[in-house]
Amino acid sequence: MPRRKQPRGRDRSARRPQRHKDVLHGNGGHRAHDFRCVNCRLDVSLTAPGTAHRNHCPNCLASLHVDRRIPGDRASDCRGQMVALAMFTRPDGEWMIVHQCLTCGELSANRIAGDDNALVLVRLALKPLQDTTMASRTLLTL
Amino acid sequence: MSNISNNTLKVDTFTCAWCGLTVSTFAADGTRRNHCPSCLHSQHVSDHVKGGPSQCHGRMTPIAIAVLRTADWMLIHRCVRCDELTSNPVCADDNQLMLMRMAVRPLAQPPFPLEALGSL
Repeated sequence: MPRRKQPRGRDRSARRPQRHKDVLHGNGGHRAHDFRCVNCRLDVSLTAPGTAHRNHCPNCLASLHVDRRIPGDRASDCRGQMVALAMFTRPDGEWMIVHQCLTCGELSANRIAGDDNALVLVRLALKPLQDTTMASRTLLTL
Repeated sequence: MSNISNNTLKVDTFTCAWCGLTVSTFAADGTRRNHCPSCLHSQHVSDHVKGGPSQCHGRMTPIAIAVLRTADWMLIHRCVRCDELTSNPVCADDNQLMLMRMAVRPLAQPPFPLEALGSL
């Protein structure tokens, strides 16, 4: 999918700088090879367009609960499967996925990558509006 | 006076950390609420990983709407101090405009042109 040329809304110079994270690819703490998705068994390469921390499958958006706080720290001993739960946007318009661990219920947020499945992303973003009873009740009480 | 039962007189309130609204802790239907019904902000008082109270006490901003299998909406908060994420069910008297705004915000700023999906 091509990226939209001009970001809408406020100009990008006003954005807050990203919280500092140590990129652990180099010193062996991070995985060195491709990984296989736990959900759809797709072989996923390490390099992702648009992000330095690919942590989910681009096809089904499933992830694995291995990091605790810093991407790549491998400090969590849960190793459960994480499913995409919700979608939100940063103030600068960047889409983020909220993952929830199926084993321990922990939540985490991650940016989408450039090669993520667009249809799955839009389905996830449309999930609150899918159930018409809740959405129409919301609109009626406005 | 002592035989007046406690639960009739106890009015439990908290003050919203963002808009300053004084909110009763229990909603009209008796469920316990943890976020302001007006601006949906919350406070980081309980530790969801280890359980028990949290030492952070930071303000938690609402960031996303998640949908359960039962089609109930959950509100996802993020602590502005420690970036912890929590999810809580929405109350019946929550600000519906804020909820709807949050639900449709990803569609207002798509990272790719949505017209391309029409050709699939």
